[in-house]
Amino acid sequence: MKISIQHLTKIFPSRTKGGKAVHAVEDMNIEIPSGQLVGLLGPSGCGKSTTLFMLSGLESPSSGKIFFDDQDVTTLAAEKRGIGLVFQNYALYPHMTVEQNIRFPLDNMRIKKEEGNARALDAARLVQIEDLMARKPHELSGGQQQRVAIARALVKMPNVLLLDEPLSNLDARLRLQTREEIKRIQRTTGITTVFVTHDQEEAMSICDTMVVMKLGVVQQIGAPQDIYDDPNNLFVANFLGTPPINIFKGRIEGGKVYIGDEVITRTSFDDREVFVGIRPEGFIYDRAGVFTLNVDHIEVMGRDKSVVSTHESSTKPTVRCIIDSDVALPPDAEKLKFNIKPYKLFLFDAETEERLR
Amino acid sequence: MEENKDNIDSMPETPPKKHNRFVQYFIDLGARIKGWFVDKYTAVKDFFVGLFQKKPKEELVPEGPQLSRGEKIRRGLKSQSGWLFVAPALILMAVFTFYPIIAAFINSFKQGYSGMTGRFNGWGFDNFVRVLKGDTGTGGANFVQCLVNTLVLTFISVPLSTLLALLISVALNSIKKVQKAYQTILFLPYLTNALAMGAVFATFFKIIGTASNTETVGIVNIILGWFGIDPVDWVGLNSPHWQIGSLSIPWAKYIVAIIYEIWSGLPFKILILFSAMQSINKQYYDAAKVDGASRWTILWHITAPMIMPQISYLLVTGIMGGMKQYSAIVGLFGVTMGQDYDMGTMVGYLYNYIELGQTGYAFAGSLMLFIIIMIITWINNKVTKKRTTYR
Repeated sequence: MKISIQHLTKIFPSRTKGGKAVHAVEDMNIEIPSGQLVGLLGPSGCGKSTTLFMLSGLESPSSGKIFFDDQDVTTLAAEKRGIGLVFQNYALYPHMTVEQNIRFPLDNMRIKKEEGNARALDAARLVQIEDLMARKPHELSGGQQQRVAIARALVKMPNVLLLDEPLSNLDARLRLQTREEIKRIQRTTGITTVFVTHDQEEAMSICDTMVVMKLGVVQQIGAPQDIYDDPNNLFVANFLGTPPINIFKGRIEGGKVYIGDEVITRTSFDDREVFVGIRPEGFIYDRAGVFTLNVDHIEVMGRDKSVVSTHESSTKPTVRCIIDSDVALPPDAEKLKFNIKPYKLFLFDAETEERLR
Repeated sequence: MEENKDNIDSMPETPPKKHNRFVQYFIDLGARIKGWFVDKYTAVKDFFVGLFQKKPKEELVPEGPQLSRGEKIRRGLKSQSGWLFVAPALILMAVFTFYPIIAAFINSFKQGYSGMTGRFNGWGFDNFVRVLKGDTGTGGANFVQCLVNTLVLTFISVPLSTLLALLISVALNSIKKVQKAYQTILFLPYLTNALAMGAVFATFFKIIGTASNTETVGIVNIILGWFGIDPVDWVGLNSPHWQIGSLSIPWAKYIVAIIYEIWSGLPFKILILFSAMQSINKQYYDAAKVDGASRWTILWHITAPMIMPQISYLLVTGIMGGMKQYSAIVGLFGVTMGQDYDMGTMVGYLYNYIELGQTGYAFAGSLMLFIIIMIITWINNKVTKKRTTYR
């Protein structure tokens, strides 16, 4: 099912008299093609969960419209939208067994017992918990509870599956496993899926389309790799990537980009103050390189090594360069020179923080 | 053993003064008591001396055997101080609860026991037999009648009142605007005296006059009159009843008592259930809403199971309280508990026979009441345990 969000806005009135109303989501426009896995990504408080709850029908928008295919569902009650919702803490009913939990939506739809049992078992099989049907939620691990929650959302064969921070309550190892699981389930079922996360790695690894948000405003929409390679602004560039992008204060003078006194590259933009973003993998070690860094130490990762250094123009305390492990670096060097891969270097206006294109 | 013998033999011989064993025992006892006091005196002295001496910090945790006696007592007191704190309660319980229970148990088997003199004829089950047969020979309350009354009133009013409290709590939980005001109004009966409420209730149901010539004054009969129903003598002498053998079923009075019990039990139950409901995570309701659950389903499949511990607590305590009801019945039907104790309760039965000076029957009755409450509570636990142990 195709989802289309048009001028969606949510304003929470202020709790105190005379306080400021909170604009949780502002003028959001997204088209989500059918069968895609879409990630809403942003730091906490950026309105991504609010958007999800508006999609689910648990929150009603202040203005704007939501369409599922061609049907306007903006004012439709949650239970009539045909959505499955997985809550951050799963919200499994503690007094019901796993089977009863999964069957609960079917019982509400007054589906016959045999059919309900079969569908519950199918859903359980899909998330591989068919052996746990007689257990109560408190007898399950976090990952198993998560699967039950997904099974409960899937059992009614929803048109849209919504997941609110589905991985945040899991430990690191389980998180990796579960995010592949979610991708697999989404592929098998082909259900249009929207999920919310603050973890860019998580979003980048499984999303077809990623929506980066900040303070209720959509910053960029696109495939993860496209956004990574071509960020719209400083925020998006900064938010994506581990280790994060290195940002330097620089300037453009006469078609040359300066960081400090060094000319990094040439450009056709007018003279101005800029932020120069260089991805960690954008550095090439070269004795005659254009950019000098004060090396602090070198971390060896096996596959590659990362040079941790400092630079007076850097906006962050350290600069990180990732270099192939076969590249021989002079030992105990205090300064190293690098060339910069042009497609790993982004220029942002110092005032607007928008990308110079 | 050899060595010990040697030791004793080698002790210097002191010519012991010979007493007979009886006298010697008390002399030894006196010496021991004196020794105990001396011992404690020195210990307490050590303790207070130690209290005012400032010690360097390292010395506060020396090895066990090197501790001074005062320090040992200080630590002992500290580790055992829990007993000290519960001691007052424990002593009061011993005097006013444990002793009476044991005494009642023992005395219930004394035949013809007189509470004034403590005399009795012999041991046996005579009290129990007479109590159960109703053959007390005093014209007092009838045990079986009182038991039936108590059970009927309890097992109708407690579940009904809990159910009603649940529904009212749900309603209260779903309104937002004047919730606090409603809460206060609903809680008012809890603050009112049982006897006063009973008297007011009795007035509601009152009727004046004889069977042939009655005048309706109670509000209930007036309202019934609007619907063309003849006035009923709810609480008076001519109150309608069914007779089953020697047992009387005063249904009109039952209705009055049950309505009263439900109404007076509501505030506390609402308070408990309402606060329990407020502590349920809102996300369960969101999940249920997305899953398309109706309000009814949410109430019976989400809310009620989630507050099952509180519901079962109310049922258990309500039933235990119901088995002990007394003052409400007195408030409604007077000290004779209706006509010839036809509305008597178990506790009313006990008071009645204490008043009549037949404490043996009261003891026997109280023991049976105790056993009945135990059995009911046991069943209660068995039933509710299944439904409440999901966390």
